[in-house]
Amino acid sequence: MSETPNYDSEYDAIVVGAGLAGSTAALTMARDGLDVIMIERGPSPGTKNVFGGVLYTPRIRELTDFDDAPKERYVAKKTYSMLSEEGDETSMSIAPSSWREEPHNNSWMVLRADFDEWFAEQAVEAGAMLVTETTVTDLIKENGEVVGVETDRPDGELRAPMVVLAEGANSLVSEAAGLKDRDDRDNVAVSVKEVRKYDREKLEDRFHIDGDAGLAAHYFGDGACGDAVGGGFLYTNKRTVSIGVVYSIEDAAHDKKTPDEVLEEFKQHPAVAPLVRGGRMVEYSAHAIPEGGPDSMPELVHDGAVIVGDAAGLVLNSGVHLEGTNMAVESGYHAGRAVADALAQGRTDEAALASYETNLRDSYVVENLEHYGWFMDTAAEEKEFLFDDLPRALGRAGDAYFKMDNTPKDEHVSEAKSHILDATGGWLGAAKKAWKFRKMLS
Amino acid sequence: MTDGWNIVVCVKQVPDADDVSIDPETGRLNRSDAEAVMNAPDYNAVEAALELRDEVGGTVTALSMGPPNADAVLRVAVGMGADDGVLLSDPAFGGSDTWPTSLALARAAEELDADVVFGGEETTDSSTGQVPPGIAAHNGWAQLTYVEELESRPEEDKLVAKRDVEGGYERVAAELPVVVAMGFGENDPRPAGLHRKIYAETDFEPETWTAEDLGIEDEVGLAVSPTQVGGMDTADPVPREQEVVDETDELAEQIAEVL
Ligand SMILES: Cc1cc2nc3c(=O)[nH]c(=O)nc-3n(C[C@H](O)[C@H](O)[C@H](O)COP(=O)(O)OP(=O)(O)OC[C@H]3O[C@@H](n4cnc5c(N)ncnc54)[C@H](O)[C@@H]3O)c2cc1C
Ligand SMILES: Cc1cc2nc3c(=O)[nH]c(=O)nc-3n(C[C@H](O)[C@H](O)[C@H](O)COP(=O)(O)OP(=O)(O)OC[C@H]3O[C@@H](n4cnc5c(N)ncnc54)[C@H](O)[C@@H]3O)c2cc1C
Repeated sequence: MSETPNYDSEYDAIVVGAGLAGSTAALTMARDGLDVIMIERGPSPGTKNVFGGVLYTPRIRELTDFDDAPKERYVAKKTYSMLSEEGDETSMSIAPSSWREEPHNNSWMVLRADFDEWFAEQAVEAGAMLVTETTVTDLIKENGEVVGVETDRPDGELRAPMVVLAEGANSLVSEAAGLKDRDDRDNVAVSVKEVRKYDREKLEDRFHIDGDAGLAAHYFGDGACGDAVGGGFLYTNKRTVSIGVVYSIEDAAHDKKTPDEVLEEFKQHPAVAPLVRGGRMVEYSAHAIPEGGPDSMPELVHDGAVIVGDAAGLVLNSGVHLEGTNMAVESGYHAGRAVADALAQGRTDEAALASYETNLRDSYVVENLEHYGWFMDTAAEEKEFLFDDLPRALGRAGDAYFKMDNTPKDEHVSEAKSHILDATGGWLGAAKKAWKFRKMLS
Repeated sequence: MTDGWNIVVCVKQVPDADDVSIDPETGRLNRSDAEAVMNAPDYNAVEAALELRDEVGGTVTALSMGPPNADAVLRVAVGMGADDGVLLSDPAFGGSDTWPTSLALARAAEELDADVVFGGEETTDSSTGQVPPGIAAHNGWAQLTYVEELESRPEEDKLVAKRDVEGGYERVAAELPVVVAMGFGENDPRPAGLHRKIYAETDFEPETWTAEDLGIEDEVGLAVSPTQVGGMDTADPVPREQEVVDETDELAEQIAEVL
C-alpha cells in the first residue's frame, strides 16, 4: 500500500463529537489558527440526535451567517399547560409581538440532522477536519495527562496536545477515562420523542401559525407523564411536529410503564390528541438527558482535556425550561478560546486552561444552572402536589369558577378557591408553596 | 512476475438509496436530498482487490467516472487501502450510458496497464450490471462475473473464480488481463484504518483525466449513447384475486383450467 502518513501530533486538538458543543469549539479554535480534527461516530453530524426542539441562538448568530442555516420555524408562541390524568387542561400562552421580529428572541425550531451538518460544515470551512463514522472508545493518558484518543478503527489511536470532549449526554468516554463519575441515576432524565409529518397547510391551520412562525408547547402534570417528575412537549417544524415526554429515569425505573406507553398516554390526553391526530410517524427515538444542575457538573478542565456541552452536564431541565443548546455552544466557545490561549503559551495543563471554567462561571451558563438547580429537588419533594393534586385542583377550580348554573358568582369563586386550598393545604400551605416555588418563574 | 499485479478497481458514486424517493405526482426519482455515497457492491470489489494485492503483491488503483465531487468515492477506496485513485471527469462524459462509460473505464484501465480490473455486481442507481462486461468487451479481455471467490495463480498469470450460476457454481480460470465483477456481499469489506482515512480525506489528491487525455472525446457523451431514457413510470400494485378452496382436487381442476 502507498505510504500512510502518521497524523500523531499533526493536529493541535481533537474534538470528540461534532454536535453543537464540538462544532463550536472546533470553529472557534480553527478561526484562531489551530489545526483541529473532529471525530464523529455518526455518518454525518446530527444524524444520531433525537433532540426535538428549540435551538437558542445568541452565540451561533455571532459565529456564523445564521441566515443561511437550515431551520424550521422561530418560536412565535409558547404555551404552558397543566394536564390532569382525568383530562383537565389549564394553560397559559405567551406570544409577545417582539418574537415575530428579527432576531425572533433567538429561538428557532431546527431539525438537528440538518442543522448540525451545516454547523459542522462551518467549522470545516474555517479549516477544521471532520472524520465521520468513527467512535472514540477511550482516551490515551500518560502520567495522568490526556494525550490522545483511541477509536474503534484499525490503527485507531490518534495523539494531539489537546482533547475536547463534546460527546453529549451519554458521555461514555469521559467516564471510561475517569474524568467524570457515572451520572447518578436520579440525575438523568429519559426522553422519548416521535416526529409526525403533515401537510404544511394543514399543520399551519391546526396550530394557527403562518410563514416561519411556530409554536413551542410544554405540558406538566400527571396527564403529561404519569407519576414521574417531568413533562411533555410539542414543537412545530415546517411540515412535521415533534412530540415527546421527558422524565426522571429514577421514576421510569419504579414505574411499570415503559417510556413508549408514557408517550402514548400523553398523546391520548384530550388536550393533546387533536393536535397530533393523523399524519404519519417519520421518526421515533429515545435518549438520556442529564438534568443534574450545578452539583453534578464534573471537573471541566483536566491536563490535556476539557469537557463541554451535555457531557459537562450543562443542561437546564427545570420543568419550565429545557435548554442545553445555548450552553453547549457557549461552553464550546469558551473552551475553544481557552485551548487556543493555552496552546499559544505552549501549555496544556489544567491551570493554563482554567479560563474556560472561569469564563463559563462568569457567563449566564453556570448562573442559570444554579438558579434553577434547586427546582428538580423541590419538584421531587413536592411531586404529588405539583404533578397530581395541582393539575386536578386547577381543572376543578376552573370548572367551578366559570360554571354556568343558577348560583351566584361568589359561590363559584369560593368553590374554586376551596379546590386550590385543598390541594395546597390551606392558606398557610399555599403561602409556603408560593414561597418555595417563587424562583420558578423569576 | 516479481513486482505483483496492476490491479484497478472501479467505484461509482451513487445517491444514497435510503434517501431516494419517487415523487408520486411526477413519477420522477427524487435524488435531490440524497447524500452521494459509494455504490454498496463496490465495497466488495475494493475488498477483493485488496485481498488479491495481499496475495500477489502489486498495487490497487481506484478508478471512477463521474463529476468532480466523485473524488469522494476514490477517497473511500484509498481509505480502505487502495494505493492511488484516478477520476475520469469531463463535461464531455455527460449523458453517457453504459457503452461509453465502459469505454472510458476500459481506456483508463489500459492506460494504467491493468492486469486485473474489479467492478461491483451492479449499481444501486441504474443496476444494469453491464459496465464490467463492457470494459472486457472494449479491451478484448477475459471476464469473470458473479464471482464468489478468487484464487490467484501468479506463476501462470491466471485468475480462477468460483462463479455463482443457476443451480450451483462453476470454476473458471481466466488469463490476464481479466475483468472481475464481484458478487454483492461475497466478502467482508474492511474498515478504513484511522490514519489511512485521515490521509485519504485530506492529503491524498486523485489524478483527474479528461476524455481528451484518453483520446475518446468523440466517442463519449449523450450523442453517441445508444440508449436513451424514454421516461419513468410508477407501477401500481396489481390487485390479485384470491380464492380459498376446500379440496385439493378442486384446486387441481382450477389450475388445469387456467393452464
Ligand atoms: C428530547 C430532547 C429535547 C430537547 N429539547 C431541547 C430544547 O428544546 N432546547 C434546548 O436548548 N435543548 C434541548 N435539549 C438538549 C439539547 O439537545 C442538548 O443540550 C444539546 O444537544 C447538547 O449538545 P452537545 O453538543 O453537548 O451534545 P450532542 O448534541 O448530543 O452532540 C454529541 C455528538 O457527539 C457524538 N458522539 C457521542 N459519543 C461519541 C463518541 N464516543 N465518539 C464520537 N462521537 C461521539 C454524537 O454522535 C453527537 O453528534 C433536548 C434534548 C433532548 C434529548
Ligand atoms: C437506460 C439508462 C439510461 C441512462 N441515461 C443516463 C443519462 O442520460 N445520463 C447519465 O449520466 N446517466 C445515465 N444513465 C446511467 C449510466 O448509464 C450508468 O449509471 C452508467 O453507465 C453505469 O451503469 P450502471 O450504473 O448500470 O453500472 P453497472 O454496470 O450496474 O455497474 C457495475 C459496476 O461497474 C462499475 N461502474 C459502473 N459505473 C461506473 C462509473 N461511472 N465509474 C466507475 N465504475 C463504474 C462499478 O464497479 C459497478 O459496481 C442511464 C442508465 C440507464 C440504465
